[in-house]
Amino acid sequence: MAVILLFVQLEKFQWFLKPEMLLYGGHGRLPLLTQRGFSSQGQNPSLKAAKVKLRTRLLVTLLFGGSLLGCCWYVYLEKEQKLRRHRIEQLKKVALGQGTFSLLDHTGRRRTKQDFLGSWVLLYFGFTHCPDICPDELEKMSAVVATLDQDPALPQVQPLFITVDPERDDVPALAHYVKDFHPRLIGLTGTAEEVKHAGRDYRVYATPGPKDEDGDYIVDHTILIYLISPDGLFLDYYNRMKDQEHITESIRNHIKTYKL
Amino acid sequence: MAAPNSAERKACWDARDLLWKCLDDNNDNIAACQSFKSEFDRNCPAQWVKYFTKRRDFLKYKEKLQTDGFTPAEGPQQAS
Repeated sequence: MAVILLFVQLEKFQWFLKPEMLLYGGHGRLPLLTQRGFSSQGQNPSLKAAKVKLRTRLLVTLLFGGSLLGCCWYVYLEKEQKLRRHRIEQLKKVALGQGTFSLLDHTGRRRTKQDFLGSWVLLYFGFTHCPDICPDELEKMSAVVATLDQDPALPQVQPLFITVDPERDDVPALAHYVKDFHPRLIGLTGTAEEVKHAGRDYRVYATPGPKDEDGDYIVDHTILIYLISPDGLFLDYYNRMKDQEHITESIRNHIKTYKL
Repeated sequence: MAAPNSAERKACWDARDLLWKCLDDNNDNIAACQSFKSEFDRNCPAQWVKYFTKRRDFLKYKEKLQTDGFTPAEGPQQAS
């Protein structure tokens, strides 16, 4: 590609240089200046023909270069598409997020994974008594969803929060908690078994720490935000180091390539 | 026991930041920061106090590792 560009540049250069050489024998004058002088003088037919010829050559070069660039671009897009298909195939083989879940949302309604098929989902596991990480991550997730909401060309992304602490996080506790974040955020809880099942599907690690005299404890758990495509396939994950802008851009790209 | 709401969380975090700043300014001398410490204890659940205290130690250690590098403990000298 660089070669073509160089060629085009050279052609352009010649177009400036040649009339000057013919007229003034290459005396040290600025090419732009001589060009102006050239056109104001009586036109020599052979020079005019040479100029036209040069223009034609330039045009041909541009057309040729352009079509070559077009071909390169097409090949590149084809390759990208192939890579994307390959990635999807690989992801389908990964035993992550392939299962299902059945949990109660923060209004007490039973929700399963199937209910969210057809929409993009951002999923985070945490607990309401979490000191700093969960609120930080949920705020980040909410900000990402709010930013994507502003783009009318994009489909809505559904944020989900699944508790890893079903002992304390019942339906009212979640209803109270999700209010602080994105208005569409859905909190999900269930029995210890149901919650564990949902987490296991995403390889979520969660262990409650020792209880203090108030019965309070902290749950050590996986801090990842998962991106799930409308057909329920796990597509990507974001750790704590990924900032809001990075996640937003990444999701935008996933949505864009998904449509192809 | 209900989890702290967003206002309570913010009050706790603010108290924590003030205490941490005081400790930074006073060479970790807790005696110089008693008022901040009691505000911190008052605004945060006991579990969070414990958690944040440990977290500060960890962050300090991490910072030290990043600036000074890792110094391996003096192991047994190589047998002659």
